[in-house]
Amino acid sequence: MLWSRRSVFLGILLGGPVVLAAIVRIVVTLYARGFRINGATAAGSTVFGLMIWLLYIRFIVPILGVFFGTALIADEVDDKTITYLFTRPIPRRAVLLGKYVAYVACTVLLVLPSVILVFFLIVPMGGSTIAAEFPALLSDLGMLAAGLIAYGAVFALVGTRLKRPLIIGLVFAFGWEPAVLLFPGYLKRLTVAYYLQGLVTHEMPQDSVVSTILQRFLEFPSVPVSLLSLAVIVALALWLAGRAVEEREYVLEQ
Amino acid sequence: MTTRTRYFVIASLLVIGVGLGTGLVAYFVGFPAGAFQRRGGPEELGLVPRDATVVAYADVHDVMTSELRQKLHSALPLPENGQRELQEHTGINIETDIDRVVACLNPDGESSHAPGAGMVLARGRFDETKIEALMREHGGHVEEYKTKRLVVADPSPSRPGTFALAFVEPGLIALGSARLVRNAIDLHQTGNNPQAGLESVTGNEELMNLVRALDTGNAWAVGRFDALTSHAHLPESVASQIPPIAWFSVSTHVNGGIRGVIRAETRDEEAANNLRDVVRGFLALGKLQTGAKPEIETMLQSLQLGGTGKTVALSFDVPLQVFDLVSGLAKKQVR
Repeated sequence: MLWSRRSVFLGILLGGPVVLAAIVRIVVTLYARGFRINGATAAGSTVFGLMIWLLYIRFIVPILGVFFGTALIADEVDDKTITYLFTRPIPRRAVLLGKYVAYVACTVLLVLPSVILVFFLIVPMGGSTIAAEFPALLSDLGMLAAGLIAYGAVFALVGTRLKRPLIIGLVFAFGWEPAVLLFPGYLKRLTVAYYLQGLVTHEMPQDSVVSTILQRFLEFPSVPVSLLSLAVIVALALWLAGRAVEEREYVLEQ
Repeated sequence: MTTRTRYFVIASLLVIGVGLGTGLVAYFVGFPAGAFQRRGGPEELGLVPRDATVVAYADVHDVMTSELRQKLHSALPLPENGQRELQEHTGINIETDIDRVVACLNPDGESSHAPGAGMVLARGRFDETKIEALMREHGGHVEEYKTKRLVVADPSPSRPGTFALAFVEPGLIALGSARLVRNAIDLHQTGNNPQAGLESVTGNEELMNLVRALDTGNAWAVGRFDALTSHAHLPESVASQIPPIAWFSVSTHVNGGIRGVIRAETRDEEAANNLRDVVRGFLALGKLQTGAKPEIETMLQSLQLGGTGKTVALSFDVPLQVFDLVSGLAKKQVR
């Protein structure tokens, strides 16, 4: 899993924010005018919050979930190696669970160092202090780990149940979720992002008048509700994925 | 586990461990931004008493020579009574003599006079003989205090000897409340000595954290919010609506416009969320109503709400065009 071409690509993807943060830091240090958003100087903590929202929550965490989660079983099918796993004297769901735990370990070890490096590069700018922002970093790390666990479980289910799981996963993560979050009503409760956003301590970026107004009326679930809901999503998705693996007959094309 | 997987895991855990360890040390020991940040604030803060409720700084030379000030000065010939009065009484020309100032407001222990006692520490080029002579002409008298010459004046007959000016060191004067000026001389001579009850504001960690958190602007102010509201004589209906803000800070950079950040530290996270909601509401309302005025729209687009936990931050950028608009309107009204 760790040294596939996909992982190397995603590793580069995770290096992106670190490189971006380093460039911002160098520019700010050289010109000593602070990082500016729409012309106004922003504190390092605000810039870090923006990066967490725009890069990690809205892009990196879902895409890691989609790429790795859907591949847990689908890759073995594509490579025609699933037979070797299923002929082992262990339940099929144990194979899935083992691969899922490996996914969590790999993605957490990829994402958390990237966030920590970005934090130390960005936060000391514009007068913010590491000491003051450290609790926010801890909650961000916890939130991102929860996001990876939840998205991984959901996309593991997609990977075991559906054909073309990657396309369906991408549509879910970058089509369904962002769209539904904007609609009033209860549909947003059928997303992972809704509960994940309840764990974010940073202010949501106000990139337009619409988002500013929407933000005014957006409701976020409380932290206990978010954590409980994510736990239910993970447990349900893994149970259903396990059942699918147990019941499904995988026919390998010759 | 292959060798390179082992290396990957070790490297990842190392980054996480070192990062969290550094953060924990910073959080509990309290060093500001690790080894990357300065002590914070100008050196004159070392002469401001610890109990200061508001501390402000301005790079006067930078502000006075700024494009904005030049433009405002030519567009709106505002009366500069205060500036002239200071020059008449002390011989100090703000525009040419002063490079930077640090001002403070302290609770006035001697009287209940609002808003407390104040002091300004100004660094620049001063003609001591001329200043002293002018102050004598206006009724001031010279005292010796710990080898420093102190010119004491009576700002009003009811409060004799409460205003003083001292030449603390070459190029640095302290003027304001006589008590604070004497305190500044004490601090200048002995430095911080908490055992003797003599400590500067640099020992006030809460306030200094805010000073360190300020942007590299050419004017800023930090203070306890209650110090402002308690003297504002606000109606009860208004005062009860103000969120429980403990500290505030404003940092601005004045040049071709004004850009800066306003920060508020609330008492708890709930108050911060409420304050964010209020600000967000105003921002949305403002953005909706400024479609026809591109200058104002640019300014409102620059307003960025931020902050985590108990901190609410609002960054802003008022471009020069907005001041052109305002000065145009003012000229029309004058006509």
